[in-house]
Amino acid sequence: MSETPPQNYHHQKPPFYRDAVVVKWLFQLGALALVVFSLWFLASQARDNLAARDISTGFDFLSVDPGINLSEGIDTRPATGGRALWVGMVNTIRLATAGILAATILGLVVGLARLSNNWVVNKLGSVFVETLRNIPLLVQIILYGAILANLGDLSYDSGWDNWVIWSNKGLSIPRVFIADGFYQWAIFMLIGSIVARWAYKSRQRQHDETGRDTYPWLGSLGVLGVFAVIGWFIHPIFGWVGGIFGAVEDGISKIPEEALQAVISIIAILLAGNWIRNFLRSRRTPGGSAQLTDDDKFRVIFSGISAGLVIVVVYVVWPGLSSWIINSSSDLFGVLEDKFGNGRSGGPFGADRPEVIKPGKFEKYGPSGLTMSIGFAAVFFGVVFYTAAFIAEIVRGGILAVPKGQIEAANSLGMKRSAALRTVILPQALRVMMPPLGNQYLNLTKNTSLAIAVGFSDLVQVGQTVGNQTGKNLSVFAIWMLFYLACSLTISVVVNFFNVRLRIVER
Amino acid sequence: MNEPTTIKIEKRPEEPSRTPREWIRKNLFSNIPNTILTLIFGAISIYAIRALLGFILSGERRWGAVATNMRLLMAQGYPADQFVRVWFTLGCLMALSGLSLAAWRASGRLSVKKISIWTMNLGGGLAIFAVLAPISWASRLGWIIAGMLFVLVGLSMWFGLRDSEKRLSGSVPTVWFTYGILGVLVLSLWTVPYGHYAFVDGELIAETGRTVAMSTKLPFTVMWLILVGSYLIGTQVRDWIPSGKAKGVLVGLWFLSPFILNWIVLRDPDFDYAHIASTDIPLALMFAIGGGLALYLLSKPDLGEIGRIVAIGFLIFAVFNWVAAFFGWYPMLQKVRISFVLLALAALIAPNFAADKRTRLRFAASWIGLIAVSHWLITAINSPSTLKLQGPTYLGGFSLTLFVAVLTLLLSFPLGVLLALGRTSSMPIARVLSTAYIESIRGVPLITILFFFSNILPLFLPEGMEIAELAAIVTGYTLFSAAYLAENVRGGLQSVMRGQYEAADAIGLTTSQRTGFIVIPQALRVSIPPLVGQAIGVFKETSLVAIVGAFDLLRIAAYVVPAQTEFLGVKREGLLLISVIYFIVAFSMSKYSQKLEERVGLGER
Repeated sequence: MSETPPQNYHHQKPPFYRDAVVVKWLFQLGALALVVFSLWFLASQARDNLAARDISTGFDFLSVDPGINLSEGIDTRPATGGRALWVGMVNTIRLATAGILAATILGLVVGLARLSNNWVVNKLGSVFVETLRNIPLLVQIILYGAILANLGDLSYDSGWDNWVIWSNKGLSIPRVFIADGFYQWAIFMLIGSIVARWAYKSRQRQHDETGRDTYPWLGSLGVLGVFAVIGWFIHPIFGWVGGIFGAVEDGISKIPEEALQAVISIIAILLAGNWIRNFLRSRRTPGGSAQLTDDDKFRVIFSGISAGLVIVVVYVVWPGLSSWIINSSSDLFGVLEDKFGNGRSGGPFGADRPEVIKPGKFEKYGPSGLTMSIGFAAVFFGVVFYTAAFIAEIVRGGILAVPKGQIEAANSLGMKRSAALRTVILPQALRVMMPPLGNQYLNLTKNTSLAIAVGFSDLVQVGQTVGNQTGKNLSVFAIWMLFYLACSLTISVVVNFFNVRLRIVER
Repeated sequence: MNEPTTIKIEKRPEEPSRTPREWIRKNLFSNIPNTILTLIFGAISIYAIRALLGFILSGERRWGAVATNMRLLMAQGYPADQFVRVWFTLGCLMALSGLSLAAWRASGRLSVKKISIWTMNLGGGLAIFAVLAPISWASRLGWIIAGMLFVLVGLSMWFGLRDSEKRLSGSVPTVWFTYGILGVLVLSLWTVPYGHYAFVDGELIAETGRTVAMSTKLPFTVMWLILVGSYLIGTQVRDWIPSGKAKGVLVGLWFLSPFILNWIVLRDPDFDYAHIASTDIPLALMFAIGGGLALYLLSKPDLGEIGRIVAIGFLIFAVFNWVAAFFGWYPMLQKVRISFVLLALAALIAPNFAADKRTRLRFAASWIGLIAVSHWLITAINSPSTLKLQGPTYLGGFSLTLFVAVLTLLLSFPLGVLLALGRTSSMPIARVLSTAYIESIRGVPLITILFFFSNILPLFLPEGMEIAELAAIVTGYTLFSAAYLAENVRGGLQSVMRGQYEAADAIGLTTSQRTGFIVIPQALRVSIPPLVGQAIGVFKETSLVAIVGAFDLLRIAAYVVPAQTEFLGVKREGLLLISVIYFIVAFSMSKYSQKLEERVGLGER
């Protein structure tokens, strides 16, 4: 170190336009202003243009008859626009759920096949993955649709003995449905699962104490099975549960609107205040004074603003919100009262075989079977094969990522191959696989929107039809966005939950 | 670009060679479960191959539909009398590829051993397929004999190099091997009777016994000659030219080629020369000279604060021009507005070039080059096209697919890098804005974005401003792809060590210098493999533009060809063909990305 201090640059205060903090905030405010200005400009243009073309925005079309027919779904002739979109959402969710299940299983199988020592199995897996993931999904969907549309005409003969029927109108399999007594039976299963959990733990403890094989999984599954069988016959004894829900319904409908508004506002203020207090406390240095960066200040201000926004929304922007919450939750409990109520003596499940009916000139599938239309099948096979190819690579990568020493250690402990796979390899591989797997589930859900190419009534197809019919494309777009964001959020919450569960607990 | 890497890729030890019997025993029948697996999946694969071949070779298939409409699939309704422009474009790309291969000294070699194995596999595959295919015994025998011939050639290569030392070291350059294969394919156009299919004046011509039409085989031969010739020329010239300069020029040409080939060559703008001489050239000169001078002065090392203040002034003026345009305060050529924005941006980065006279002159010269190219392109885009079109655009089919993919990638790249920087920056508002943008775009499917831009965007535009359908689609696709690109780049940004930032600060670089010269180059290097992966994704998902009405490869195969009266409902053939086309492009790109990943990964360790 030199004796004389270097020139005291840092004592000269830089001019304000060179001050890092000032420049940073000026830049950010400028960017914000630019974004806000552009949005405002675009919105004002849209307002003018819409007014000039005599189109009104808004969501009133949700309660107006759109006059459209949907190809399939819970309601093929929806009475309102909202109902039509709801049918589309249900179709999308149905497709995505079935697709995620099937793609996971298929992807796991193919991924394991690619690790197989058997040459034929290995090569088949490689061909599957490389082919399917390099052909665009949309091309695949349209191709599957074209191939399926060339199946034979519908008749009773085209299938296996009336259990499975396929034709160019789709595929029909026996339908298993939730019957009358399901919800009361579900209470039985809830109790059963608590008891099963207890059984699992106690057997686990036994195993830990004595070292015997106590098969905790088998035991708990057995308990659950016993509950399921007993519940099948005596579930009506839970008829009184409906009454509880009825009472809750009455109670909720008596809450005044103002009380709910006040409660929401107070909760918002309390939450924000609590968060700010904790945040400040966490930033406190041992010296006592809180060192706040720009970022921290921004967070504090932002949380205050969001609490204020909640209050403004509750009181000014959407005063009907609280009455909507009250009404819909009392409705919900009304439905629950009915579902759990007395007088439901049927079994929890029922099943029907598929049938072919001939209402007019042409045959079609009757309502009793579970029918997969050509459109559904094309999208389903498309997203399943395509995603399975990616999942297979994730599975393979995850298993290869397990250090070889782990497998050798398991072998040297004398573990069986299956036990080593289950207790050593898969848990570690899953940890690597989980985040990309979640991404694939998200992709699959979004990819179901390609159903529009084969005319399957998913949310995008219905929305496009409704939008063109009513001219409310903008509102429909907002609904699309909200729906898919909600789906993404749900999937990432679920995946994150497992991710946290699977994480290595470190000291 | 890349320095020649000195990293030796360590090869895995050679597997001990086994007799076929040992191989089969080890890989197929090592124990009972393995044998069962082999039998079951062997049966499945035989069944699948039979089904596929049966489908392809069935008499009901009308492959003529595909052969006849090949031009439609590749270039849609591009006027037949102007088709030479398409070939010229392809030829330019071929010449560029040949020169680039020479300049980067493509030095990969294929061992003779590998080639002989491939040949034998090909022959064996042919024979097996011939046995499984539902064809007449005579042709089956013919194909089996052909397959056996291939096997014989492979075997002779194998045993011709009996000396095992030689067998390992004997090799041919990959480039020449590829050229040879392409040459054989081109030669086959002249000799093998693939059949002659065409629409001539609306009449369908389908002659099965002939070779393909002259309008197909001649251009493809020329393309092959250009590819090989440019490579040969490149290899001769490359020792005389400094390699860095040659590579720089080639990279520039690659970057410019999509714009020039598309808007100048293919679109053939009808320039209004009087207007150009009276307005466009003076304007360009003014910006080139005035801007160049201003930038030269602004990059003066001892200028200090004044430079920044002037630059900010430029920026405010440039932004104000656009605000004025939106409110219609005063008229101004769009070109001028764009030029002012470019000038303001260049003025902002000018201090980064504040060095000796040479650097400053080069900075000013690149500004003049930018003005020349951008003014020329804007004039060309604004001039009407001379083409007489039936359809909405002059591009269509595979060319449109490529165009959308390339343009989207090029445009989304800067935006994606900016978003990634915004998301990782320490500025809260910038971060919240970029994060919100990225996450909300990533949360919705591409098709909804495309619908938004093709249906709803016109509502948001001011009076009198219109946007072509295709431009709207590319805009939407770019905004979508930028969000994904940002996430890939963010991964790279996060991998840049803290020490790099600190070192840059320590030597006194400004924030923009640190970001531009230190952080981004390192971040991009790491994110090359995921970026190639994303490029594959972008290429595949261009098929979605078919749903919103653009005539890309998929739309023509799935909706246009099956609607022709001659080929009513012939859909599966075209879809299978385009699947193969998509597959070839995507598969070769993914193989390339795997190779890159190996290289980058090795550099890391």
